[in-house]
Amino acid sequence: MDASLNTVGETLTAKADLRSLVRRAERRHFTTMLALMAPSVVFVALLFVVPILLFLFRSIDNAEIPRMLPQTVVAIDSWTQGDLPDEPVYAALASDLLALKDTPAAAVLGRRLNFAVPGYRGLITKTVRGLPETLVAPAKTTLVEIDEKWLDPVYWATLKRQSGRLTDFYLLTATDLTRDLDGSIESVSDDQAIFMSLYARTLYTAIGVTVLCLLIGYPVAAMMASARPAVANWLLMLVLVPFWTSLLVRTTAWVVLLQNEGVVNKLLLYFNFIDEPLKLMFNTTGVFIAMVHVLLPYMILPLYSVMKGISPVHLRAASSLGATPATVFRTVYLPLTIPGVAAGCTLVFVLSVGFYVTPALVGGPRDQMIGYFIAYFTNSAVNWGLASALGVFLILLIAAIYLALGKLVGFDKLKVR
Amino acid sequence: MFIRNLRSAGVAGLTLLSATLMAGQAISAETLTVVNQGGAPGDAQRTSVFVPFTAKTGIEIVTDAYNQELAKIRAQIETGNLIWDVASVHSLNEAVGCDEGLLAPIDWASHIDASLFEAVGGFGKCGAPYLVSPGGLVYDTERLSEADAPKSWQDFWNVEKWPGKRGFPFQPDQVLEIALISDGVAPRDVPGVLAAPGGVDRAFARLEELKPHIVWWKSGDESMQLLLTNEVSMGYGWQGRVNVANRSNSRKLKIVWEAGYTSAVIYMAVMQGSPREKEAIELIKYALETEPQAEYAELMGYPPANESSFALLSEENRANQPTKFLDRGMMQTGEVYINFWRDNGDSIRQRFSTFTAR
Repeated sequence: MDASLNTVGETLTAKADLRSLVRRAERRHFTTMLALMAPSVVFVALLFVVPILLFLFRSIDNAEIPRMLPQTVVAIDSWTQGDLPDEPVYAALASDLLALKDTPAAAVLGRRLNFAVPGYRGLITKTVRGLPETLVAPAKTTLVEIDEKWLDPVYWATLKRQSGRLTDFYLLTATDLTRDLDGSIESVSDDQAIFMSLYARTLYTAIGVTVLCLLIGYPVAAMMASARPAVANWLLMLVLVPFWTSLLVRTTAWVVLLQNEGVVNKLLLYFNFIDEPLKLMFNTTGVFIAMVHVLLPYMILPLYSVMKGISPVHLRAASSLGATPATVFRTVYLPLTIPGVAAGCTLVFVLSVGFYVTPALVGGPRDQMIGYFIAYFTNSAVNWGLASALGVFLILLIAAIYLALGKLVGFDKLKVR
Repeated sequence: MFIRNLRSAGVAGLTLLSATLMAGQAISAETLTVVNQGGAPGDAQRTSVFVPFTAKTGIEIVTDAYNQELAKIRAQIETGNLIWDVASVHSLNEAVGCDEGLLAPIDWASHIDASLFEAVGGFGKCGAPYLVSPGGLVYDTERLSEADAPKSWQDFWNVEKWPGKRGFPFQPDQVLEIALISDGVAPRDVPGVLAAPGGVDRAFARLEELKPHIVWWKSGDESMQLLLTNEVSMGYGWQGRVNVANRSNSRKLKIVWEAGYTSAVIYMAVMQGSPREKEAIELIKYALETEPQAEYAELMGYPPANESSFALLSEENRANQPTKFLDRGMMQTGEVYINFWRDNGDSIRQRFSTFTAR
């Protein structure tokens, strides 16, 4: 009894030893792996993840106003909207603005407030310039004498709303919303409402281009995968050469082809297919033609690599069991190529969502996409808060579609091989 | 603009690259880095200004190109990592950049005779005007004879008498101004009318009448392409582009100055905190002198900013200038104009985008 118990105990200890040995070995393996991966992880984190997160934070960041108007943001807190603020608020603003006199900060503050109310920039500049060196009470009279706009509650309401450390202003603007005088959210006026329709158009164009790319790319990839190696190589070159050519060159080439007196229209007119030139450019047709062409390789290549891996044996087996070619395709070939379809569609969709050069060159004013405005607010208007708010929603949009697609076809199939 | 945007993305990369490359040579006080619009105007400036300046002073000039993105100047000032010493800026950016402390305030009148630049609006607080770029109503004289030609912006709006599409830039500035001119506002009064209550609505209402017939272009190249290929029967175009298009395609596009035109004014300014401010001022002073101004104008076919340079222009160039119609030109500068676009630019651009998309 004792002895056998002992043996069991020994076996257990041995097992535990072995388990801990294995665990230790695994841990060592894992540590080595981490150490090997560390440089690339750090690299990606520092140069990719952190900058993106920092830029996304700008969509809610409101450091500028509390920093430049420290007394005002405290004083205005007690003011309830409806009436004009009391003298202490006017005095706080006057003294804050006086501190900004002759510094660039005044213009920066003006630019920031101008995002919310057009004309605020001019008001700030004028007020700062007009303030006397030493303030005399009442500050309200001084400010109103410089500009009567200080009697308009809009400017005060805006200031109060923008006085926190964080703001929802950019996120609201990016969705065509605004806050009215008493702070409730409402839609912006009709002639300023632009971003929701831009998202819709971006989405519509991206989905359309993806579907067209799939319809055109699928047979091409299938043909390449089943062709003789020599032919397949040539076909691959035909796909790759445009892939290597600059986007701008290809888009400009389409301009030459599609314009009113362009090659396409000239040929169609010459052969009497049409009586007057077709409108192929400066409209959605042009955008779709050029974008599908530009993005087609991104659909064909993943499809091709998946199709190349499908053994013809499966297809032959299905046929020998009496399936018609259509059934073979539907039940064997198509399901096997789904990973390629998913990868190609994801690539094309994500790339086309960010497009703006091609729509700009061959599209009309109805074809501009969200990317153009992100670039505009980043580079020209220097409204980085709004640019990143637009980016936030674009990322959310793509994430939502990716999740939906993942649910639909399974995440393991979405990998790009 | 879009092409240039894309190009500017490349330029941003190149700027980084050149910054690294230049780190070695920029130490020398004898090198100035100037950023301008690049392309043909950039080459002309090199030939007419930079090369003779280097010959005269021994100061080397390195050039870079950008598309008036104020963000690129701001990034350099904010990180304290100056790549450029001198920047070419349009009137709006001159004002904004100066107010926000991105450009160095310089009393140009103490360096240069201010009376020679009064016609182009004089000096800014930071910048000195070195280039004027007028734009107006352009048509092809080979398609429309002189007698049938449009004479005014009212004619431009008249699609019954002159069928065909109209080319306009895909940006609200200049377009709203032209709409007001065609609505009967004298060019010189346009900034005041635009900034007054109801001015913007009036411009948009006038634009609405022509909207179905407008082809919006996004780059100067495109503006000429549309005219040369008869995609539009007339359009708004910049003088420099018209000259280049005529020269390289041996065509006869013509600007109808008497209809009224707009003139953009471009300034040279010193970047705030540039360690070579003294040399930079010397360069800008030289760029504004009579001879370099005349040569630059001759190469580009633009009118010179310096009034005394007109005397040195060739007959051919002078015949191309709107000198006879100076009262029909609207300078895109001055306090009213700048303040208007600075305060309302973003909201008008949004309105313009929804307007054109409908």
